Amino acid sequence: MTLHLSIAAAALSSAAIAETTELRSLGEPVSPDQIQTGEALYAENCTSCHGENREGQPNWRRRLETGRMPAPPQDGTGHTYTHSDADLFAMTKFGIGAVVPGYESDMPAFEGVLADPEIPAILAFLKANWPEGKRRYQAALPSMTPLPDG
Amino acid sequence: MTISMTDGISRRTFLGAATGAWIVGSARPLFATTTLRTGALAFAGGTVHAAGYSLLRSEDGGATWRESIGPDRRLTALTVHPERPDRVIAALEGGGLAVSEYGGESWRKAGTGLPGATIDALATAAQQADTLYAAIAGDGLWRSEDAGESWEFVMDRPFLAEAERDVLSLAAVDLASGMGGIWLYAGTTAGLQRLPDCFCRWQDVQPGNALDALIEGGEAPEMAPLPAGEPVEEPVRALVSPAVAPGALYAALSSGIWTTTDAGVVWRKVNTLDAIALAVDPSDPLALVAATENGLTYSRDGGET
Repeated sequence: MTLHLSIAAAALSSAAIAETTELRSLGEPVSPDQIQTGEALYAENCTSCHGENREGQPNWRRRLETGRMPAPPQDGTGHTYTHSDADLFAMTKFGIGAVVPGYESDMPAFEGVLADPEIPAILAFLKANWPEGKRRYQAALPSMTPLPDG
Repeated sequence: MTISMTDGISRRTFLGAATGAWIVGSARPLFATTTLRTGALAFAGGTVHAAGYSLLRSEDGGATWRESIGPDRRLTALTVHPERPDRVIAALEGGGLAVSEYGGESWRKAGTGLPGATIDALATAAQQADTLYAAIAGDGLWRSEDAGESWEFVMDRPFLAEAERDVLSLAAVDLASGMGGIWLYAGTTAGLQRLPDCFCRWQDVQPGNALDALIEGGEAPEMAPLPAGEPVEEPVRALVSPAVAPGALYAALSSGIWTTTDAGVVWRKVNTLDAIALAVDPSDPLALVAATENGLTYSRDGGET
């Protein structure tokens, strides 16, 4: 019951943010329904690495034994907000190598797992819960343009 | 707290520092530093600082040098405030930092939060004089946003050829990363890397910003990377970029001094000087000072002569 209440409260809060800050995901206005969908998709696909509370893996700035970096937080304390929506879409769909060729990461490509509209829904959920300053930072990135067709 | 006051300031004039002696590579050094063992160089405005077992500074292009003794350990890395040439931040052999507000005449400890290991490289952020970076051997990259007083860990070391690599040299380059900030370039024990100052990932130098990788079907740009040293690794001992021309960098490798004018996409070797440390005039991309085992040399043409 407590969990459901907290999710409902978070969704309400996110919806308020979407309505009051003109939050966009891949250039399109974000709706409260999209944020709720994104939250469910995040819980299903992302929490195992990025954490139930989007806190990331422990010591995420320290390299793993494999040489790869741990999953960073998605709550605005990491570096996700320094990437444009197009970059984040590409990294989610195709893997980090789509943006940084040759880069090795534990982040899998979600092509075939998530439908294209589901990725901006997850982004909408994450962005709706970033601190306002981080949302503004990301919105001002020069590369904040919609993904090209295809 | 003052670590140690200078116990003597000497002014040394080097008659050999006339223009004819400012030749990199072929001529005798501008200044033979047999006792200094220069580990780091820095330009602050028109002032050159050279650090080793003491700190030397020249305000006249190397014609005369002023030496201050102390702090009590060898200085391994150096950075300066771009607009306050008397403010010097030095890394101490074995770990820790010392700051001088008076060109090395007195020092105080700094570096709260830093681990007690040797700092191999220091850099001041472009356009943010109170933001400093320190690369620590066996550890990673640290950042201070209060001019060196307190520090936080921001990024692990680069992972190259199946191993973590120490960063030996750092340069904050005032070129947009595409991620809302600029780039930090790092010379490692196994080649060149760069990192956006959001600290998301070390990566090889690529033409343009990260978004270019999304564009398919384009013609592959010409690239001539700085040699990583195959089959023998070639550490990038020093790396500097002039503030007035951030696309320009110089790198000191055992094979010589290399330069690029396009932010590291195409490199060429300009001489075979076996330099340990470099400094470039922030307002003159061709004014380059190099330290070798034999002393300091000064070039007015980007190391060509």
